Amino acid sequence: MKGGAWGIYIALYFWLAAMGGGAFLISLSLKDRGTKVLGAWLALIGIVAGALLLIADLGEPMRFWHLLAGIHPVSVMWLGSVVLALSGIGLFWLIISKEWPDWLVWTTAILVLLVVGYTGVLLMATARPFWSGSPLLPWIFLASAYTTGSALLVLFGSHSEKLAKLSFAFAVIEILLVAAHMIWTYSGAKDAITAAISGNLAWAFWGFVVVGVLIPLYMEAQKKALALAALLVLLGGFLLRYFIVYAGQVDVMRF
Amino acid sequence: MPKANDYAILFDASHCTGCRACQVACKQWNDLPGEATENWGSYENPPSLSSETWLRMKFTDGMLNNEVFWDFTRDACMHCSSAACVESCPTGAVNYREGGIVTVDQDWCIGCRNCVQACPYDAIHFSEQMGVVQKCTLCYDRVSNGLEPACVKSCPTGALHSGTYAEMKKAAEERLQSLKAAGYKDANIYGLNEMGGTHVLYVLLKHPSTYGLPVGLSKESSKVATGWLSAGIAAAVLGFAGVKWLSDRREEVGGGS
Repeated sequence: MKGGAWGIYIALYFWLAAMGGGAFLISLSLKDRGTKVLGAWLALIGIVAGALLLIADLGEPMRFWHLLAGIHPVSVMWLGSVVLALSGIGLFWLIISKEWPDWLVWTTAILVLLVVGYTGVLLMATARPFWSGSPLLPWIFLASAYTTGSALLVLFGSHSEKLAKLSFAFAVIEILLVAAHMIWTYSGAKDAITAAISGNLAWAFWGFVVVGVLIPLYMEAQKKALALAALLVLLGGFLLRYFIVYAGQVDVMRF
Repeated sequence: MPKANDYAILFDASHCTGCRACQVACKQWNDLPGEATENWGSYENPPSLSSETWLRMKFTDGMLNNEVFWDFTRDACMHCSSAACVESCPTGAVNYREGGIVTVDQDWCIGCRNCVQACPYDAIHFSEQMGVVQKCTLCYDRVSNGLEPACVKSCPTGALHSGTYAEMKKAAEERLQSLKAAGYKDANIYGLNEMGGTHVLYVLLKHPSTYGLPVGLSKESSKVATGWLSAGIAAAVLGFAGVKWLSDRREEVGGGS
């Protein structure tokens, strides 16, 4: 597919929206208001930056408003665009409100959860065997949203030790899900998995495994440099999305 | 399912010689440029469809039971009745038109390429020059004026036919019967059930997968439903795990205010 592949902008968007969204969702189960507002800010920044990347990635960026000019609920991309816009409004509303009414918090939380989750559904609803061969991509992206979201809060100095523990717990879940996904899709997507394990995407896949998960887990066990470990987790979150986005398209990037 | 009076094309693999007149006629009628490709060891060329190649012949060759096989199949948009490109399109630019034809409204397409990822036939492609997607139109400009599609018109062996869906289906069934009678016991019709029934039907001598055609396809809407179901369960399970973990440690974690 000459030039038509989904590339770096899409991987960056998946990463930013999930990282910010994850930080917001986690901050909601914490008590202090400061962290909640920080979470809302991080989610809003992730979502706005992600939306700008999505628009820049379009073949006709000035027509982006066509996304919101009709109703196409079967299209995962349409639904994703709508929840992206609505969640941005919800987060902005929260940030400018002194009091957080429960209904607004809940509505925004569900919208942010949809933003994080729809990216997995979007890839599942394709003809690419590495994306559609197992139902696990939404699980991986959600787990990674919690991993990177809590690591992001740690970097901002919030409840470092406990949130770092949460981040690493989800990192373990995430890597198990990735392994399960690769075994599950292997029969239909050998090219994609070979590219990830030993081909031209090996740097991203093994980078995710080693730099994004194993080294931070080791650092956590040694109680060393939690902030650096959190930074590596964030990097791992990007490498994960990079390798998933590109591996899904290896056999169609023929010329 | 396609309606009886919809536009349709019938491809009969048992009559195809792989001459590629259809491939050239498609380029000529639709004003599509040639593509610079490299020899990769097959007469099949170009190696895939693209935004500038809407129809090509797919060649499958090799050895089977010490005998050479060399088979030709049409590779182009199938004009599905439940088309993944239409259902995945977030703007409605890719849509069903009169007579069941699927086309792209290039003034409305935003170039998101969701259809490119969704199409099980790899038949819709993004043009970097135009910023939108392009594909076979079933020669809507010809058939709506009573002409045959360019590919059908050019076919010298009678492997391509066009007409109403009912006519093409009947012709396919008749051809299948005579092939079976002539001893081709694996002969079959492809496209009757795929993606809600396609407006292009194939008469094949062997199982579709031996021609490189996808089998066991699921519709876009069922993939979407499975996806949302899985995401919902994931949100419940992982969300619960996270909230539980935090609330168990609420005093330690959320302390302060």
